[in-house]
Amino acid sequence: MAMRQTPLTCSGHTRPVVDLAFSGITPYGYFLISACKDGKPMLRQGDTGDWIGTFLGHKGAVWGATLNKDATKAATAAADFTAKVWDAVSGDELMTLAHKHIVKTVDFTQDSNYLLTGGQDKLLRIYDLNKPEADPKEISGHTSGIKKALWCSEDKQILSADDKTVRLWDHATMTEVKSLNFNMSVSSMEYIPEGEILVITYGRSIAFHSAVSLDPIKSFEAPATINSASLHPEKEFLVAGGEDFKLYKYDYNSGEELESYKGHFGPIHCVRFSPDGELYASGSEDGTLRLWQTVVGKTYGLWKCVLPEDSGDLAKPKISFPETAEEELEEIASENSDSIDSSTPEVKA
Amino acid sequence: MIWHHPASVSSSGKWGLCRVLSCKELTVELQRQEEPHKKKDNPNHPSRIMQTPPTTTVPVLRLPRGPDGLSRGFAPDGRRAPLKPVVPEIPESQESRESQEQRARATLRERYLRSLLAMVGRQVSFTLHEGVHVTAHFGATDLDVANFYVSQLQTPIGVQAEALLRCSDIVSYTFKP
Repeated sequence: MAMRQTPLTCSGHTRPVVDLAFSGITPYGYFLISACKDGKPMLRQGDTGDWIGTFLGHKGAVWGATLNKDATKAATAAADFTAKVWDAVSGDELMTLAHKHIVKTVDFTQDSNYLLTGGQDKLLRIYDLNKPEADPKEISGHTSGIKKALWCSEDKQILSADDKTVRLWDHATMTEVKSLNFNMSVSSMEYIPEGEILVITYGRSIAFHSAVSLDPIKSFEAPATINSASLHPEKEFLVAGGEDFKLYKYDYNSGEELESYKGHFGPIHCVRFSPDGELYASGSEDGTLRLWQTVVGKTYGLWKCVLPEDSGDLAKPKISFPETAEEELEEIASENSDSIDSSTPEVKA
Repeated sequence: MIWHHPASVSSSGKWGLCRVLSCKELTVELQRQEEPHKKKDNPNHPSRIMQTPPTTTVPVLRLPRGPDGLSRGFAPDGRRAPLKPVVPEIPESQESRESQEQRARATLRERYLRSLLAMVGRQVSFTLHEGVHVTAHFGATDLDVANFYVSQLQTPIGVQAEALLRCSDIVSYTFKP
């Protein structure tokens, strides 16, 4: 019996969710941080979406957020011209790093010793987190505001994206190695260490490049402008979301559209697979974060697989919804569609 | 039900007594199988060609918990609190040693279960009785952690593609996350 996807909505933010990041897998599971224009980034348990805490301190919209590998530290980039580093266990602010303009992106090295930042001042900065008082190393070269900056190749290189270019820099020499030019605005970038793959989205395209050489591997076209895409850890699927409020899931090898889901009430700004690939999270203009199962119907986190014999008991989830009205949930559930064949017209209940 | 494509199956091949169905017979068979679905008098039912079997939404245990609206969170007794119980301000009789022990047990159990999750897909080395060592890719465990489902089990007498290792046979195991 085909099962329909039930997304899990994580509420709490009051403004658009513009960035999200997962930690690695820790002995306590994995975690999720979300950046929001309300200035209050939140930490959640990655497999359930349960809220753990809110990092309070920024005085402007938070544009970027990240966690280190073992989720002991968090970093955020904000419109208040600062990047902050936080203790992700206690929620305390550890350091505030002043910048000269809006900061958009932050990324930890694998050992959490350095933080890379980038923003509207068009400079990449590298902070030594063991010496927060020292001046950061700066890399210049971008001609428009930096949207995303990431460590790659075991932190030996840096990838950065501004409006129309993606550049590769060598960490040791602080010089540009290569660059890619685009006709359209680059909306997002994701780096996959295993396989050194770079996922770039621009316009309706989802492109895959080698992170080492920047050579193109393949690219797909989506039905609408895409704001973010993520590749599954096993490289079987990719998910993408954008301006039409829908999430698309593609087979990475064939490019076939496998599933598409409605559910968000606004454009999707960010989408990421969890480190174990069992779910993916999407953040939207509608202020919510939603968790989606990679394999629909599997028992994982809060989703519970029901065998045909048990279906009499659990035909419909019997839970009270304090925040969502029953009808709204019905509407959301019925709007979701598993389209195996994308040309099949959707049935609206 | 086995579908035979008339062009691909010979009547005397390995299917033995099975008969090849003609296209007409296949169509009749298809119609018979779809009868129960057709009986639904749902006005929104799509045409027969695009029919999908009845779907049900994946059940959830509960919705994700949201902010409590009172504090910034990061509860001191949350998951990542130190395992050593904090010295209680109230006398021990109230916060009994039993419930402290219970909490410690729960935390340790959770860590163990998460270690099993982290093992999925990894190369694990098992030490069995009589000094036997084997390695395999860990797949899953059953509910009581009585058996481990593994693949590519390297044994002294060869490689087993898929195997079930009885946990009672395992002395210890180790893996690199």
